[in-house]
Amino acid sequence: MTLWHRLTSVVRWMFRRDEAEQRLDDELRSFVDLSAAEKMRDGMAPAEARRLAMIELGGTEQVKERVRRYRHGGLLDEIGRDVRYAFRMFAKTPGFTLVVVLTLALGIGANTAVFTLIDALMLRSLPVHRPGELVQLRMGDPGSTEPGGESFSNAIVRGLAEQRDVFAGVAGYSGGGFDVGPSGAVSRVRGAWVTGGFYGTLGLIPEAGRLLTAQDDERDAPLVAVISYGYWVRQLGRNPGAVGQILQVNGQPVTIVGISPRGFVGANVGAIADLTMPTAALARLEPQAAGLLEPGNFWLRVLARPRPDVTAAEAAARLNTVWPQLADQVIAKHWSASRRQEMKSLVFQQSPGGTGWTYLRDIYRTPLFILMAVVGLVLIIACANVASLLLARASSRQREIAVRLAIGASRGRIIRQLLIESTLLSLIGAALGTQLAWFCGYVFVSILSAQDSGIVFDLSPNWRILAFTCVVATATGILFGAAPALQTSSAEPVAALKKNEMIARTRSRLLPSLISVQVALSLVLVAGAGLFLRTLQNLQSLDPGFSAEGVLLVDLDEHPGALPPALLDDVRRLPGVVAASLASHTPLNGGYWSDAAVPAGQPLPEKDNAIFIGASPGFFPTLQIQIVSGREFSEGDTAGSPAVAVVNETFAQRHFPDRNPVGERLAASVNGDKRDLEIVGVARNTSIAGLRQAPPSTVYVPYAQLNRNRAGSLAVRASGALGQAVSSLQQTLQARIPNMSIEVRPLSTQVAATLVRERLMATLAGGFGVLALALSCIGLYGLLAYTVAQRTREIGIRMALGAQSKRVVGLVIGRATKLVVVGLALGLPATWAGTQWIESMLFGLTPTDPMVLLGSIVLLAASAQLAAFLPARRASRVDPLVALRHE
Amino acid sequence: MDKLDIPQGTLDLMILTILAREPLHGYGISQRLASLSHNNFQVNPGSLFPSLYRLEQDGKLKAEWRPSENNRNAKYYALTAAGRKQLEQHRQRWERIAFAITSVLEGA
Repeated sequence: MTLWHRLTSVVRWMFRRDEAEQRLDDELRSFVDLSAAEKMRDGMAPAEARRLAMIELGGTEQVKERVRRYRHGGLLDEIGRDVRYAFRMFAKTPGFTLVVVLTLALGIGANTAVFTLIDALMLRSLPVHRPGELVQLRMGDPGSTEPGGESFSNAIVRGLAEQRDVFAGVAGYSGGGFDVGPSGAVSRVRGAWVTGGFYGTLGLIPEAGRLLTAQDDERDAPLVAVISYGYWVRQLGRNPGAVGQILQVNGQPVTIVGISPRGFVGANVGAIADLTMPTAALARLEPQAAGLLEPGNFWLRVLARPRPDVTAAEAAARLNTVWPQLADQVIAKHWSASRRQEMKSLVFQQSPGGTGWTYLRDIYRTPLFILMAVVGLVLIIACANVASLLLARASSRQREIAVRLAIGASRGRIIRQLLIESTLLSLIGAALGTQLAWFCGYVFVSILSAQDSGIVFDLSPNWRILAFTCVVATATGILFGAAPALQTSSAEPVAALKKNEMIARTRSRLLPSLISVQVALSLVLVAGAGLFLRTLQNLQSLDPGFSAEGVLLVDLDEHPGALPPALLDDVRRLPGVVAASLASHTPLNGGYWSDAAVPAGQPLPEKDNAIFIGASPGFFPTLQIQIVSGREFSEGDTAGSPAVAVVNETFAQRHFPDRNPVGERLAASVNGDKRDLEIVGVARNTSIAGLRQAPPSTVYVPYAQLNRNRAGSLAVRASGALGQAVSSLQQTLQARIPNMSIEVRPLSTQVAATLVRERLMATLAGGFGVLALALSCIGLYGLLAYTVAQRTREIGIRMALGAQSKRVVGLVIGRATKLVVVGLALGLPATWAGTQWIESMLFGLTPTDPMVLLGSIVLLAASAQLAAFLPARRASRVDPLVALRHE
Repeated sequence: MDKLDIPQGTLDLMILTILAREPLHGYGISQRLASLSHNNFQVNPGSLFPSLYRLEQDGKLKAEWRPSENNRNAKYYALTAAGRKQLEQHRQRWERIAFAITSVLEGA
């Protein structure tokens, strides 16, 4: 009741403030009238009675002020008046306001942008039932604090799901892709393989139909799939009869049993799963990958929901108690005893799982934190910039403030007014900054999608981003507003009303140091950006040992046996095609196959020690990998002919350091089979596994001699216009392999994809570095322009006394130089400290790379000179007569 | 004679007590307070009006404008039901305080 009363009275009073003020006036007047009337009744003269009555009241304004303060919402009222006053001040100086707001928009926007990315990648909860309860399971060495492996075999997930006294549900999942559609009109749909407990664990309610259950994940269960809400809308036009429809998936009929709820696109963050199928269907839909279901393959991520009566710690403890006996059932039988023991000795770890899983998190955690630090510095520069603008403007407000102090405003009141002004500026800047954040997010995702075109992020603002931006904006407002507010309000009213001297004196210390700090921070950011830029250049100009230019790739999920026999010959006959070949792996495709291979007579090592690549004849010419010695594979190397191999230089040097390995024999394990290989050639080293890595020992074996199904890719070298080759390749392949979606892509994009992180850092750090540089230059320009304007009289006198304009220019430039030199001196150690942090991300140079440092210093100094030039020129054009008449 | 400072928190109690007898305007309240306290208390309008406004906003008082004894319009304050309840509570508390203090002083 009372609360309601208070609220309504505040609201009523807010809307009827003028009326209330009028009433208060009337009441106080009636007080004086009544009091005077009584005094006159006692025989006092009217004028005297009135005067005494006024004294009794004690000043109308004071009483009104106190009433306002005690009244509910009084503080609100004062703040409201401060806000209106602030807007009047902004309207009076639109240019100043615009510069400040834009500066803050850049600073705050950059922070919101990076925070949005961090939020999207790491903080957003999956849209599932009570995401906070979910845990992600890992396995690691006991006692180790390092996070363990997060992939599990199908058998382990099934074993975990049976631990009903620990978990209410266990979900195993992995991303995947499907060829969907009737023969000849197949398209690639992104999806996921999930275990039967997936949807039950997440606690989702279907939009229509039902979701997958444990029965669907049985070996002989009918083929069923759940589609996403988005897929239903985009591809099926919200067809109400979608549930029960049959889709052709990888050439097999699959029944749609349900539509997952709107907003849920799988547990892999950043990747959309439009089609979700139970893992058991893998054996029938992708026979060549059926091996994934065997206990030796670790490919499923696991989210689990502990039972409500089990705490996380208890769950972990119980799990580790049952693990040794569970391990006997779920560890691959063919593993060696030592490897089985090793697996058995691992322990389960749990981490919060409500935010889902993405491989991007591991890759981008450090870069994003670095970027957060970078934009933090940008914001500090922006703050310093705005603070110096406010300080410079303070002198023009000194008079206004002094008048307010003189008529009785308290210092606290003035400081509050000034802080409200700066917070408002910063909030307006933040509002504009969110636009910049949106643009940055767009840039980020478009750079990322060079790596994986399926990356989709929800970058829409949420309460966390909103709260972050508001907190940053408010803190910013207080940060840049505090110094000017304290300084402006500290003036003695009388002195300030007379002159502006005092401000000028104190400012002369604070303002220039702000500029030097900006220069120092800019040096850190510009040098950092330079290091990232050079890293990208170094990697791009690296000779990878193969030539990506002109090479097209097509991933083929089928084994060559299942491919039309003359496919390769048909492709080679296409116009513009120079060479074509099949390979189990193409350079930098992200996956690799490792096995053991040593000179004949040596024991095979337990662990893999070489990268293996299955390649058809023509592989080396297609990729232009030079054969240093011997020969490449020929059509004569068939399944029936003697097993041969080509090794790379690293392998040759490691195992045959003193002789030519051609003609030597290797003992090898190829896909688990012991093989005796004859080395027929040595190929040049190539960066097949990563540009940053030294080329690993590599053994090439003929594709035709592979003993087991292995998915591979078609690599084609074309001359002339690639576009034409792409379309003729597409048509030829689609006609011959109707059940597969054919996607032709250039090898160069695959190479570029491995540099996504470097490109991202170079682009964003570079962008923010330029921003920092620009802000510092604006700050320097502003300070000098202001100083010149203030010292017009002094400059005029100097010139009247015969100083040459060259000397005046020197005066201004000299001042700028001093500030910049101090800034650089501060910035160098800061840069040294800051860039140590990013050392691991650099390539081909150290954090103290002299060229980058020198370049940054030169760039900063040159920009500063440019910024100083305009005010200096203005100073040199001061007309002594005009200047002396001024004031 | 020197005036006493009105003890912290007792102004509301005295205002409510005065208004319990009859509705009065601001000046009337200050006069009544002076006479009832034998001129020991003189309330300052800068304290009186904020208290009146707060009590009114809290719903303890209601106010209406009507002609005063000498035919000037004045704002008359009167107790509401909530005001009466508040007065009762404050009064009881004050009597306890007074009793307690008196006991301490006499017992010492």
